[in-house]
Amino acid sequence: MMEATSPSTPRRAWLVRTLQASVAASVAAIFYPVVRFLWPRRGTVSSAAEVVAPFTVAQLKSLQEKGEAPPPFNFDNKPCLVVLMPDGDLRAYNGICTHVACTVTVRPGHGDIFCNCHNGVYDLNGQPVSGPPPRPLEAYKVFRRKTPSGQEEIVVSRST
Amino acid sequence: MSLAALDSPPNRPRWTARLKEFLIDRLGLETFAELAAKKRVPIHRSTVFYFLGGMALFLFGIQVVTGILLSLYYKPSPDQAFESVRAIMTEIEYGWLIRSIHSWSANLLIGVLYLHLLTTFIMRAYRRPREFTWITGLVLLAMFLAFGFSGYLLPWNQLAFFATKVGTDITGGVPLVGESMLLLARSGEEVTGDTLARFYSLHVVILPLAVLAVLGVHLYLVQKHGMSVPDAAARRYGGPEHVPSMPFVPHFLLRDMVGWYVALGLLAALAALFPWELGTKADPFGAAPEGIKPEWYFLFMFATLEQTPSHVFGLENKQAVVLFFSLVGLVVLAVPFLDRRADRGGPRPALSFLATWAVFAFVVQTAVGLGLLHFGLSVSVFVSGALAIAFRLLMLWWCALDRRRMSA
Ligand code: HEM
Ligand code: FES
Repeated sequence: MMEATSPSTPRRAWLVRTLQASVAASVAAIFYPVVRFLWPRRGTVSSAAEVVAPFTVAQLKSLQEKGEAPPPFNFDNKPCLVVLMPDGDLRAYNGICTHVACTVTVRPGHGDIFCNCHNGVYDLNGQPVSGPPPRPLEAYKVFRRKTPSGQEEIVVSRST
Repeated sequence: MSLAALDSPPNRPRWTARLKEFLIDRLGLETFAELAAKKRVPIHRSTVFYFLGGMALFLFGIQVVTGILLSLYYKPSPDQAFESVRAIMTEIEYGWLIRSIHSWSANLLIGVLYLHLLTTFIMRAYRRPREFTWITGLVLLAMFLAFGFSGYLLPWNQLAFFATKVGTDITGGVPLVGESMLLLARSGEEVTGDTLARFYSLHVVILPLAVLAVLGVHLYLVQKHGMSVPDAAARRYGGPEHVPSMPFVPHFLLRDMVGWYVALGLLAALAALFPWELGTKADPFGAAPEGIKPEWYFLFMFATLEQTPSHVFGLENKQAVVLFFSLVGLVVLAVPFLDRRADRGGPRPALSFLATWAVFAFVVQTAVGLGLLHFGLSVSVFVSGALAIAFRLLMLWWCALDRRRMSA
């Protein structure tokens, strides 16, 4: 490969270009499937349109009166929080902090929603009050539904 | 460095030249450049044999890359292993390609290693000072067989489950320590999830590290001693130092790379045309499936196990078979020391005959394992022995002709 003719000879230069192009094509042909392989598979998680909270309105109310909050439950593969407002309204939020994605806690005693990771504070409407969170919590639609046994259950659905 | 040689300096922008100089200075690359410049490859009739080691190295590289990719989706537990491999085949884009290449390349790799063993034996490349090159090579072969065996279980399908049951059960045939080895191999009395975890760790952690270490020694020795020259070539040119040769970089390396490129194309074609099967999920309490067989590279032992009667010289079937193949292994390991006339370039009739017999026995037994031949043990022994004698006689006649032609 190294003999007499110099790369300036047109035939030689053409050969070198062809070789370079083939190597580039081969490299692309190898990397393309590898990159596609590495890419995560398409959403295999079922994304339910709505979900019933694992507690009733009455249970939520009595917990909140003791200054406690029920643990978040799974809605659309995210932790979902439900808050009973002082005026009796229900609110539901995606519990993922808008700062860097810790899961927040409802503090009925303080009347706020708190993030343990960097002391972020939201009010019960999900608006950031202090600390690093830049945006309000994502809100879901929520309503009460009477069950045949006379209980009131909590139904959460996507806001759109 | 080989690529740099393709480019002549006037064409190259100044910054590449400066970058090269910068790197050479900082990284001490001149050491490698000197080593590379010194390495030469002899040119003679059997030069093609020198490609096998490099080919094995390339295929090992393919195994490392595709294996790491598979490990991103593979889940080593009896509940999930089969399902995760199925997802690799059906859900993950190009997963079928990566898995099929890993499986096909494993088979080619072992085939290449068998040939590498055979051709280095033919060239007597194990002679002083290369005894350790031979021994480390055999250790590597054993490790790659273990790679194949442990990988085979990972998809946790029926075939793999029973092949592993049989394969590990045979270790129970080792005298004295067999029982303990069996427990250790299976991590318990049966093949269970613990076995799977153990095989997974062996396959992706223990063996890769061990192989890298031994491979390092093997390659260091190859570099240190240079390529061995077969006697015939040395005689023809009046001494090994007069045999013509080419520089390894870039001449031989570029030829190596052509071979690798062809191998890559072959692998892609095999994977596309014959994607690797998945079978059905392992059922530890179901009956062994019909036609259960190990991979082709273990078939010769499998066939021998099947042909051997239940008792031989007071030994149980599997004890006799294990003992026999252990002895064969020891003899192969000791080849550099059994070739007594090696230094003086004298012939080695007994070893050559035994090796020829072993090769024919391997072929015959593999055919028996595939169900192509229906031989009993004594027929196998007799047929392969007869073939070996015929082959040696043919070789003697051919060499005599050759010598007459040379002197004429
Ligand atoms: C560092 C190197 C390696 C890694 C990380 C690796 C990783 C893996 C993984 C994760 C699997 C399970 C996925 C599957 O079953 O398709 C697997 C299977 C397998 N591996 Fe490897 N491997 C390596 C090297 C090797 C080598 C050198 C060989 C060959 C001798 C080999 C032979 C096999 C075989 C035969 C299977 C079963 C294929 C199947 O039926 O799916 N592997 N390997
Ligand atoms: S993640 Fe919530 S405050 Fe930082």
